[in-house]
Amino acid sequence: MKRRRFLIFVVLAFLICVPFVSQAQLKPGDPVIIGVPTFLGSIEGGESLKAVQMAADEINARGGVTLKGAKHPIKIEASEIRDGAPGVPVPEALLGIEKIILDKKVHAIVVGPFRSEALMATMDLLSKYKVPMLGTIAMTPASEAKIIENPEKYKYVFRTCLNSKYFAALLTGVMADLNKEFGFKKAHLMNQDVLWARGTTAALKGWYEKNGWDITGHDEFPTGASDFSSALMKAKAKGAQILFTCFDMPQSGILVKQYKSIRVPALMAGFISPMAGEVAWKTFDRQIGGLLNAIFELGNIPSVKYPPAMAFYEAYKKKYKDPIQSGHGPAPAYESVYVLKEAMERANTIEPDALVAAIKQTDRAGVIGRVKFDAGNQVVYGTDPSKEAVAVMFQWSEAGERRIVYPAALTEKKVWAPEWVLKPGK
Amino acid sequence: MLQGTLIYGFVNSVILALIALGFNLTFGISGVANFAYGALYIFSAYTAWMLLTWLKINYLISIVIAVLLTSLLGGLIYKFILLRVRGMPISEVIASFGIGLSILEFFRFLGFVGSEYTLPVFIDGSVSIGETYIDIQRLLIVVIGIALVSILYLFTHYTKTGLAFRGMAQEERTALILGINSDKMATFSLAIGSGLAGVAAITILPLGQVAIEGGYSALLNALAVCIVGGLGSTGGILVASVLIGYAQTFTATYIGSHWMMIVSLIAILVILIIKPSGLFGKQKELEERI
Repeated sequence: MKRRRFLIFVVLAFLICVPFVSQAQLKPGDPVIIGVPTFLGSIEGGESLKAVQMAADEINARGGVTLKGAKHPIKIEASEIRDGAPGVPVPEALLGIEKIILDKKVHAIVVGPFRSEALMATMDLLSKYKVPMLGTIAMTPASEAKIIENPEKYKYVFRTCLNSKYFAALLTGVMADLNKEFGFKKAHLMNQDVLWARGTTAALKGWYEKNGWDITGHDEFPTGASDFSSALMKAKAKGAQILFTCFDMPQSGILVKQYKSIRVPALMAGFISPMAGEVAWKTFDRQIGGLLNAIFELGNIPSVKYPPAMAFYEAYKKKYKDPIQSGHGPAPAYESVYVLKEAMERANTIEPDALVAAIKQTDRAGVIGRVKFDAGNQVVYGTDPSKEAVAVMFQWSEAGERRIVYPAALTEKKVWAPEWVLKPGK
Repeated sequence: MLQGTLIYGFVNSVILALIALGFNLTFGISGVANFAYGALYIFSAYTAWMLLTWLKINYLISIVIAVLLTSLLGGLIYKFILLRVRGMPISEVIASFGIGLSILEFFRFLGFVGSEYTLPVFIDGSVSIGETYIDIQRLLIVVIGIALVSILYLFTHYTKTGLAFRGMAQEERTALILGINSDKMATFSLAIGSGLAGVAAITILPLGQVAIEGGYSALLNALAVCIVGGLGSTGGILVASVLIGYAQTFTATYIGSHWMMIVSLIAILVILIIKPSGLFGKQKELEERI
């Protein structure tokens, strides 16, 4: 009886383990499968998938990934998880991710959840199935804290895009410059009510308070909101000089038009996702001159001072006949495929534990700047692309050009403020 | 700031009234709660955008075609789908909601997602009223809203079809005895209601962006206004629009923008507890008295 039970146990254990074992071994010519489960309906998700496909095509054109002397093409499996759409619950996104892991038997994931809320919940899933993921959209630093707290369990989760902490560092650098240049010291905060935006705004608010800035108000908007007039009127009434914005929803683009209609004499600076791409100038009726908008990762905007970013941006434009519109996602998504490829070749296997150890050792000059991971599996961001990955702040000129104004290593033009902002009475 | 809040609150009220007019008209006449209303609202805006951007048709002509197509779609929805479940309110709601979902999600499937879906304002620029700057488009919304309510009043009081509409709204069986074709009138009411959704979308959305989610929020706003005002009561929706419009604007200004979106939900809850038929509704008044 005991022997029979033991045999049943062995068979069950075998059946449970076989899928993982078979998933971790490739026959010559078998494809390396990379999953892209994300909110494909968003600009960031859609363009990130295109960037991933572009990297895969480039790698495949050169023969693919070399493992144990054999070449393996990269196959991309995309899945729409809609986690950024209003009202879509996190469990729905989790189901989508689990499905792509189990059905498509992906060896790794890139891009990943759009919303940080979904990322946090996905971490356990990735740990359960031992699937390495290089996230390129969700930005909460809470995932890094979780990794540092339990590195063995969550070692499969990496992030190549900017996180809220580094974004706040970019913003504080810009705000310090604006204070130095124009003497601005009064800010009104407006953000979308989602985890990453709340985190970023809270960090910036702390910096403002610490540095003696006057915060005239703080308004949070649910995803989908498109009327910002009340907050803009408050900012105007209280004499704000800076309107800090932090939004990633398509509806937020209209904020700039409303700000111009109400004539708020403050410089708008922060991140409004629809304002990031070069097509925004035409979309928003050429009314966005003066706006300061962040680009979360270099490469999503070209820079004459950093050729790899320029090359990626132009190659994308050539391949898809359209420029990148999103300021967040595509460049690190492209980069992530190369990080994976190199890590697989270093580890000489796709076995998850060996692969994550190899990813940790990454040190490459990529399109987003230098790519290295810290203890929380986050790519290190800074201000010099030869040393770290870089996020930039650009400003729309009145002629409809995007000019990088921060950091100094990549500056193309000095920051300026419209006359009606500097002299509101006139 | 108070002056600005009052002005923007009034504009917001007119926006809500514009959104709810078509839904209310359809329900008042045919008794059909058209849950595809939000989808028709967005359908109209996307159609105008496609005509304007892809086919490069003049904006005014694009608007007219979009509204007419929306109207036609509404009529067809009734003729080929809702007519079959007429008189079964739950089936009507399920069918119309299903149609709405299909339309909206079909746009998503086709890739109508992103910030490029904007409609131009009719007249660019802003003017100041006292110390408050307001864009001309918002003023036009007020003008169009008032004009539309007036036209609807004249239509329902002085035209043969309008009088037939009112007859249907008052007592369908009696209207039938008087030779009013109730199915035909109900088809018209769906078509006109949908056309009004189209007019609302074309007028309001240049202030924002054409997005699929806008369809859901338009339906929610229309429902909130109609439930608070009383389903089928035009006077009721005007009062409800003012109440909810100002409540939303004051909430956003003095409490927090974050809370603005739940104002309409709270309004629905409160009215359902206090007076389920709405402020001016007749639908359940007898039951309420009992």
